[in-house]
Amino acid sequence: MGWLSDNINLFGLIAAIVILVLTVYVAGVLIKKMRDAKADGELTDHKWDGIAEFRNNLPIGWVVSFLVLILWGFWYLFFGYPMDAYSQIGDYNQQVQVHNKKFEEKWKSLSSEDMINMGQGIFLVQCSQCHGITAEGMHGKAQNLTRWGKEEGIMDTVEHGSVGLGYDGGEMPPLGLSKEDAKAVASYVMADISDLKHTKYPADVQKGKEVYNNAGCAGCHGPDGKGMPGMDNFAPDLSKYGTYDFLKRVLDHGKKGHIGQMPSFAYRNFNDTQIKALAEYIGSLQPLSED
Amino acid sequence: MFSWLEKNPFFFTVAFLVVFSIAGLVELLPDFIKSSRPIEGLRPYTVLETAGRQIYINEGCYNCHSQLIRPFQAETDRYGAYSLSGEYAYDRPFLWGSKRTGPDLHRVGDSRTTDWHENHMWEPTSVVPDSIMPAYHHLFKKDADFDTAYAEAYTQKVVFGVPYDTQGGVSLGNIEDAKKAYMQEAGEIVNNMKNQKIKDAFEKGEVKEIVALIAYLNSLGQSRMTK
Repeated sequence: MGWLSDNINLFGLIAAIVILVLTVYVAGVLIKKMRDAKADGELTDHKWDGIAEFRNNLPIGWVVSFLVLILWGFWYLFFGYPMDAYSQIGDYNQQVQVHNKKFEEKWKSLSSEDMINMGQGIFLVQCSQCHGITAEGMHGKAQNLTRWGKEEGIMDTVEHGSVGLGYDGGEMPPLGLSKEDAKAVASYVMADISDLKHTKYPADVQKGKEVYNNAGCAGCHGPDGKGMPGMDNFAPDLSKYGTYDFLKRVLDHGKKGHIGQMPSFAYRNFNDTQIKALAEYIGSLQPLSED
Repeated sequence: MFSWLEKNPFFFTVAFLVVFSIAGLVELLPDFIKSSRPIEGLRPYTVLETAGRQIYINEGCYNCHSQLIRPFQAETDRYGAYSLSGEYAYDRPFLWGSKRTGPDLHRVGDSRTTDWHENHMWEPTSVVPDSIMPAYHHLFKKDADFDTAYAEAYTQKVVFGVPYDTQGGVSLGNIEDAKKAYMQEAGEIVNNMKNQKIKDAFEKGEVKEIVALIAYLNSLGQSRMTK
């Protein structure tokens, strides 16, 4: 009898029994009436094929409740619930407000693991359609994000140049550096310039600094990598490379580069926590392939 | 009082309709009049987009994709901002649909781009691994129908008063002007595509169906409201 512990099942069973009892009782009453009742009373004057109707008064109880219902209907329609009072959009706004509040409370303090999980959730819903479920860019259909924001991403940019971030300096040409030099610059940018201050190849940092200054990187990105002094929008500020700000810029502006176009995601209204989570998730990805 | 109606079924029907329409008229009409006006800043479809819309109808896209996002958070999280009735003011017929075998498309222009649609229409599983959508190779071969699209846009303007040729809006002009604008718009789409055959065909002055369809899909988004 375990199924009776379910409220709905129990309620259904009780209701079924009540309906059964009522049916038997009403059927009994009607059958008794068919046997005993006599046709007395006053008939109305209209007949249909010999069948006539008794002139019965309306039951008092029914009349009263009918009139009360009409009054209540007027009150409800015009005063209790004015005709213009409900708005589906208002309902939506309220729902979103409640959700945002809950979101903030629930995610007040996030561990790194929470961030990565949240970021993955957002990524799968919003980004995986182009960047692929594994974020590797679906065989070149979009940017390979397992490398993006890391040393490999910089090496890739040094090798191929960069087109579409919408800075005033325009296109960055391929630099034609050797693989070692590219790696060195990448480690220098990651370790010294970027706010992340962390590189996988610490041995190359010193050499990378020389390459940075000699290969002309400083010409656009500035001597300290923070962009040209006084020209905010000339070239990317490398101290933001790989961080939340960098991702936010791409999400806000979109990107039109060698591979194709990424639309701006400004319309999605991601909140800061979500973008940080996304950045954390992308940062946590391990590069899948070397080339 | 009612016995007369009971003996006259025709008038009974009339009386029934009158009584039962009151609720509908009172509740629906005022709101409908207010919300069915085009929302401010909404632009009509260009001729290329109209051609794409005809392809959309022709291919039966609405059989699997709806174009109506309801104001619930679960919906807007997934598909984008909810739809307003005034956005459909220039849609004849509307393509709302209720079947969602595929995702809703009413905001697809916000989050997808030309090259994504190109990949997707050529081989859906290449960008959506679990997709059950068929490939639409024939769209890459057939030419879009400019003449019918122009005729439709012209009809919209003349018969239904859709505001083409307004200051800063979508211009229609005569058929030569429209063709020029059509080719220019198609050129931008073709530029963003990678398929060499489409590019070659465009050089010869042919606009393939896929180009028009992508133009239409790109127009489904919030950008159409602010222009």
